[in-house]
This record gives sequence, structure tokens and C-alpha cells, in this order.
Amino acid sequence: MGITEQDARLPEEVVKQLAEGRLATEQMILNVGPQHPATHGVFRLLATIDGEVLVDAEPIVGYMHRGYEKLVEQRDYRQITNLVSRMDWLSGINNELPLALAIETLMELDVPPRAQWLRVILAEMNRILNHLMFFQSFSAELGAITPTFYAFREREDIQYAMEMVTGGRMHFGFFRPGGLKEDVPRGFYDQALKGVRQVIARLPDYEDLLIGNEIFKQRTINVGVLSKESAYQYGVTGPIGRGSDVDMDVRRDEPYLVYDQFDWEVQSASHGDCFDRFWVLLHEVVESAKIVEQAIEGVPSGPVLGKVPRVIQAPEGEVYIRCENPLGELGMYLVSDGDRRPYRIKIRTPSYSNVSALREILRGTLVADMIAILGSFFFVLGDVDR
Amino acid sequence: MPVVERLAPEDALARVQSALGDSVTEARLNFGQVDVTCEPANFVSVMRTLRDGEGLECKFFTFLSGIDRTAFGGTDKPEKAGGLEVLCHVYAPDRAVHVNVHVPVGLEDPVCPTITGIYAGAEWHERETAEMFGIRFEGHPNPVKLYLPEDFEGHPLRKTFRLPSRIIKDWPGAKDPEEAAAGGRG
Repeated sequence: MGITEQDARLPEEVVKQLAEGRLATEQMILNVGPQHPATHGVFRLLATIDGEVLVDAEPIVGYMHRGYEKLVEQRDYRQITNLVSRMDWLSGINNELPLALAIETLMELDVPPRAQWLRVILAEMNRILNHLMFFQSFSAELGAITPTFYAFREREDIQYAMEMVTGGRMHFGFFRPGGLKEDVPRGFYDQALKGVRQVIARLPDYEDLLIGNEIFKQRTINVGVLSKESAYQYGVTGPIGRGSDVDMDVRRDEPYLVYDQFDWEVQSASHGDCFDRFWVLLHEVVESAKIVEQAIEGVPSGPVLGKVPRVIQAPEGEVYIRCENPLGELGMYLVSDGDRRPYRIKIRTPSYSNVSALREILRGTLVADMIAILGSFFFVLGDVDR
Repeated sequence: MPVVERLAPEDALARVQSALGDSVTEARLNFGQVDVTCEPANFVSVMRTLRDGEGLECKFFTFLSGIDRTAFGGTDKPEKAGGLEVLCHVYAPDRAVHVNVHVPVGLEDPVCPTITGIYAGAEWHERETAEMFGIRFEGHPNPVKLYLPEDFEGHPLRKTFRLPSRIIKDWPGAKDPEEAAAGGRG
């Protein structure tokens, strides 16, 4: 980290550079963060710059480390649901899902069909909320303020629908091992449909607004290219991975819940630059909205909570369950020794793996592109640090 | 557009077994995923075979972490307790094959070779595992702490490391009438 003596330019070298008509520059360290509007949380980037070029950029994380993997060992399964909901604060419901699935797998609990369908609806609505948030923040970071107002207007109807069901706007705490906390209230379907139809109808306009915008294109195309090979090596998933042609989506590859019953497509692009990441993100919103529409059509009736023992106590065993979080693959490796508390849960969060690839991409880019790259790396610091 | 041709778990296990041979001490299926156990000395070659081996191609690095099994089973079944292990998960995106590699390491001065040369993304995961479990990754290019401050003492995810709030007050859940005997577990 930082500049070593070898990096410092020798005077002779400076003279030589000047004689050749080049600029004699010197490396300097620029500290970005921990408080920076483009970092979505407390994130620090230790950048070594030479003129306009980023020689190195080391992401420094840990400012929000709350030790979830230790905390979950001290709590029983019912409490953990509410804890993990806070990991990635933009997609609470999606955080609860793999935990619920892991407990259900170990305990061999049956989840009623209605609960599975409603889980899909809530998870996809949460995905739309998350994606619209990054749609606006990325645009705002590039200097386009207008999308912020549009995104929040569209979010509000869906957010309100979520609030009708769960009572919360960010941390929902709604999934239980075996199903859901309770059934959805009257009027929810109408509200949800209103929200998603609005998104489907208006998204083409937003696409024109940004994707067709010349300035936006110039700032994002061929900027911050992540190769497919690197994406695999670092375990990059979600819209970022799919923007680099990593055509992976757990919902399609290993369908959980009832995802195999819907007609939708996995969006992917092949250049791996900021533009493609954003393109994938934007198009995923419509796919999610389509899933919600179909799921509301087909939701079966019945109970929303299966037969669950009063004390949730997973039998001895271990299982790795993964789900498609809005930002990528969220996996939980649950080890149980038969107690009411998990023995260990390794939480594999998407943002963590995605951000670990950041250094490789930032190396050699221009300082002016840094914000575009950071913004296109849709991450939530709470999800990185856990 | 089925991009993934899912391989049956039994076939996946057979392929992993034939590719890895004697370098793993155990190979079995667990909820449709392949679980293998290997010695630290073979870890690097096992991971390389998993990544490059024909018919395996586990190109996708999911995570690397550790498990401290020393308190497994609690006070009721102490015979179930084990040691410390490194756990690495890789995935073959074209066939949807999951492989969990368990590497038992000793409790006294646990050492494991680094796999950053095979999966570049292991760098952060190994740094985190090192600080949380006190496992040294030999040959790691940047062996500094990831989350914890430099002067932090102890390894938080070890079972001997007690959560400060549990030192002050026992687990409140233990006071539930149906399970009075639930002791604190660190």
C-alpha cells in the first residue's frame, strides 16, 4: 500500500522525461472517503495517482463491520431473520430469503405454495426498488439529476405496497422459516400492480433519457472494463457480472421457490464496461416487473405458513443455499449442531466479492472515470462489511 | 435458452472423484453438492484441478472461509467436536456443479497454503479468514487485516472468543421454560 521508495522518481528520470518533451509527474496519494457521496456508505479508496492516471486504488473496507457472522451464532433462528434483513439495506427481503430456505432445507419444512408465490412477488418488488435506487444514484453521480426524481416517484408506489404488507420500508423482517409472517392485506395486489405497470410503462422513457444520451455514452462506454475471466476469478455476480457476459442467474440456473413458472429472460451484455452494467440493471427492472405481474395473476390460495414446530431447531447438518440477490449471488453456508442457534453461518454477500474486483479495474484508469466506475459497481457497504 | 446443462449430482461426484483421486481423503454428496476433504498440502493442486480439469471447470470462485468445530455438539455431545477447517466453495457455471472443499488445519499454529494464484478473488477472503480464525495463509501476497484494526487482539470467529455482551449477560434465550439447560456458547 502507498508509495515505496522504488516508485519515487529519481531526479535523472525527471530530467530525461522533460528532455523528451513529456510532463514530469510525480505519484501522489489521494484518499477518497471514508465519507464520499459516490461511495454509498463508509468506504475508503486509497488512490495512488500519477498525473491523471490511477496507478493503484486500494478499496479499504471495514468501517461498517458489525460482525454478523458472530452475532448470528448468539441468536436463535427467529431473531436472525431480522438481523440479516439489515445486511444490504436496499434489499431486506432478499437477504432473509436464503436464510429461510437454508433452515427449511435442514428441517425439511414444507412451504405452502401461496407463501412461495408471495415470496417471489415480494423479492422481485424489492429488486425493483433496489435497481431503481442504483439507477438514480449512478445517474446523479454522472451529473444527471433528473432521474433521481423519476426513480423516487416510481419507487414510492412499490414501496407503499411493500409497506402495506410488512409495515416496514427498509427492514422488513417478514419471512419466517416455513413461510411468511402473515398474509397480504386487501388492496395489496392493486397497489403492487399499479406500481409495476407504471415501471413497465415509463422505463422506455428513462432508457431514452440516459442510454440514448451522448454525454452519458461518452462517460460510460469502454470505461472500467471488467473481463469475463476476472469476473469468474473474483466471483462477481449480479448486474455487474452479467454486464461482463457472466451469464449466471440463480433464478434460472437452479430455480428456487417457483421461479421456473414464469416467463422472463436473464439480461446480459458482453463488453463489461460501465454502460453495459447499467444497461443490464435497467433491463432487469422490466423483467422483475414482468415476474411480479405474472405472479400476482397466478397466486394460489391457502395458508402462508406451513406446519412449523414451536421451537425452531435445525437438526445436525450443513447446507449451502444461494439466492439471486438484486446485486448478485447471496449465499449462506449454514452449519447446525442441533441447537436452537446456528453453529455457524458463513454469509457470502454479493457486494463483498464484487468490490474485491474493484482494484483490478481501477488500475490504469483516469481519475475522471473513477466516479463513473464506482457508481457502476452497484454495491451497498453494509453488504460488503456485514 | 438453457445456458446451463445441469449435471446430476451423482455424475458430478463421480467426475470429481476420478479427477482428484487420492489427493482428497473423502468425497461425498451433501444436499446435491459435492463435499470433499483434503490435506492442506494438497489444497492448491485440488483447487487447480477443480478449476482446469476437463469436465469440471469450476471457474467461478464463490467464497473461502473457515469453520471452528471445537465446540460442535455443545456440552451435550462433546464427542462430536472437531477442529479448525478452511472451507472453500467453487462452482461450475456451465453445469451448475457446486464443490465444497474442506481443509482441516491444526489448532496450534494453523497454516494453509494460499490459493490466490488460482483464484485471484481469494485474496480478500483469505485475509478475512486469517483475522477471524487465526489461520495463516502461506504465500499470501498481502497478509494484512481486512476488517479489524491492526492492533486487534484475538480471532473473533473462534469459539473461544466470547462476544463481549455475553460475558456481561448470559444468553437471554436460555431462560425459555422449555430449554433451561441451554448454556452459553461463547
